Amino acid sequence: MAGCEKSPPPEFRLNQVEWIKQERLHLADEDRFDEGYKLEIGSILTALFGTPDEPRFPYLLEDDDPAHDIISLDNLKMAAGAVRSDKRGAPVGLYREHCAHCHGISGDGAGPTAALLNPYPRDFRLGKFKFKSTPLRQPPTNHDLRTILENGIPGTAMPSFRTLPPEELDAILDYVKYLTIRGQFERYLLAELAGLDGRSIIDFSLISESKTDEEPSDDDIEEFEDQMYSVIGDGLQEGIISRWLNPDRKVTKIPPAPPEFETTHQAHGQLVKHGRELFFSKGNCMQCHGETGVGDGQLGNFDDWTNDWIKTANVDPYDKETYQEFIAAGALPPRPLQPRNLHLAVYRGGDRPDDLYLRLANGIEGTPMPASSAMTSDEIWAVVAYIRSLPFANTGATVTKPTNDKQITR
Amino acid sequence: MSRFWSILFFLVPIMGIVTFLMAMFGVAPFGSAWLPKSLSQSGDTIDQLFNGIHLLSAVILLGTGLAIGWAMWKFDDRHADGRKALYIHHNTKLEIVWTIIPAFILIFLAFFQMKSWTENKMNRPMVTADGEQVPMPPMVMVKAKRFGWEFYYAGADGLVETDDDVYIENLLVLPAGEDIVMQLESRDVIHSFFVPELRLKQDIVPGMTQFVWFNSRESSDDIEVLCTELCGWGHYKMKADLRLVDRAEFDQWLVDQTAQYEPELKPESKSDDVATLTKPEPSR
Repeated sequence: MAGCEKSPPPEFRLNQVEWIKQERLHLADEDRFDEGYKLEIGSILTALFGTPDEPRFPYLLEDDDPAHDIISLDNLKMAAGAVRSDKRGAPVGLYREHCAHCHGISGDGAGPTAALLNPYPRDFRLGKFKFKSTPLRQPPTNHDLRTILENGIPGTAMPSFRTLPPEELDAILDYVKYLTIRGQFERYLLAELAGLDGRSIIDFSLISESKTDEEPSDDDIEEFEDQMYSVIGDGLQEGIISRWLNPDRKVTKIPPAPPEFETTHQAHGQLVKHGRELFFSKGNCMQCHGETGVGDGQLGNFDDWTNDWIKTANVDPYDKETYQEFIAAGALPPRPLQPRNLHLAVYRGGDRPDDLYLRLANGIEGTPMPASSAMTSDEIWAVVAYIRSLPFANTGATVTKPTNDKQITR
Repeated sequence: MSRFWSILFFLVPIMGIVTFLMAMFGVAPFGSAWLPKSLSQSGDTIDQLFNGIHLLSAVILLGTGLAIGWAMWKFDDRHADGRKALYIHHNTKLEIVWTIIPAFILIFLAFFQMKSWTENKMNRPMVTADGEQVPMPPMVMVKAKRFGWEFYYAGADGLVETDDDVYIENLLVLPAGEDIVMQLESRDVIHSFFVPELRLKQDIVPGMTQFVWFNSRESSDDIEVLCTELCGWGHYKMKADLRLVDRAEFDQWLVDQTAQYEPELKPESKSDDVATLTKPEPSR
């Protein structure tokens, strides 16, 4: 009810799409998971990660926990909660002020404006980030995320937040990682449901005294500890959090570009020509980006965030009837990917030569763009030179001059 | 109370001008309401124009306001001793006077602003190329979009819209003390490029290429670049920072933008022990 009443504090929403997907993957037609698991998953997540107003982070080893290097609790508190100023006048609630209307309170990429945007805002919960300096299946570095916050993503609705003070950007950055890790762990818990056969994920009744009015037996305690270590130790800490440690160590080294990469170099033309040959041969770029690079090659692919649920049985991404249940659960209607038109000079991951080198060398996480394992670094540089020349290439079409072209001097 | 309306009408021009003077000389509570300090010669010209027109407006406001107040005071019905009001219309002399005076003011303004207009909108700085005087090529191409500013710096070849452009979003760093030409374009709707400190404002219409130029006297920390054309829901946050630095610092900054990022690897530390939470061996 809208009106004068104070609205209740926002809550993290359960990943319903994953819930339905797991049901369809593992259960017979009419079977459903026990609704009680929703409560249990909610309690485990709240115990470890808190709420949107009161975030927490599972520093399981307390002060010694290496996770302090990933996320600082002070930063989380600065980014979380309602938009306001604290006692010193410093801004609080940065995530809700700047991010939540697209990326959603839970980081599910389904905020109020999400459905209007193309491409859709990122769903952090898969733990995949497209534009980063690390190889596929590795988390991004702080610097990568920071670059996106500062530059935005050209060609999308993601704006630049460069005018915010650095400490606010750091806070938002940590909060994004927090939502990612929380979302990854939520998906891990949901994936575990099928194997439980009705048991609790972590069965606290094993160590509860109320059941029998007796001390819990050693076997029960051991069973409980096994569950704890399996879910929290293996699932969360080793499986998810530890992967976020020290991503800087995994950064792909970029060898220096050859001298003829400079546009002013005499042999630059040859390099571009060589890059063009590779575009058609070893690189196989034309398969998706099309022979002329306008992005009219292989169409009809979906990204991983969509593939994640449309690959479920009986879902046809082109038939609305078959995925209605997922839309009702919060998924956004699937949209096929458009390979990038390389003539537009709009590069989402940044247009520095290094950025383009990384996209080619490492591929783009979550998309059909592969890492170019077949090409040497010099060959990659040649393709980068070719790609950077494309927006300025004469396509043969007549270009209308601007009305005031006499003022334009080149 | 009998003189209430007359006094109120006297107060309007007086309070109006007092408010403006307070803002102009930084008196609270209007201390920060005036324009920020001008950073360029052409900004000073605009300020002269701005102040001149304000002075003129103040004289007219005061003149008309006081005239109305005086008339209300003098011909107040309650102090009129039974004198009847007169119905007057059509005074040719008066009409000629109040047509000619504003016409002269407008003609005066047209000439008064001509220098500033030509300097800021028509006479783009020139450079000599191949022994010929040509308009200075832009150092930066600005692409306005909903809701941010893209800046494309001319790279080594000194030209924008070539494949060695350096792109950066929402941060404009430029050298102080020299002529700078910028090319303005829009990616979507009408925007307007505004830097208050430089008194620089130019609408950006999609499909058109505009040029603006300025020469900042001094360097400055981050100042705001604003969009002053309502361009959609995010208009209020369409801002960028402009930093004016000396030439050497600018050249270094531009090189840094294309430099490769070297992660600072921490020395081996506790962070490398990843598998720390494992079940201890049972001690029983």
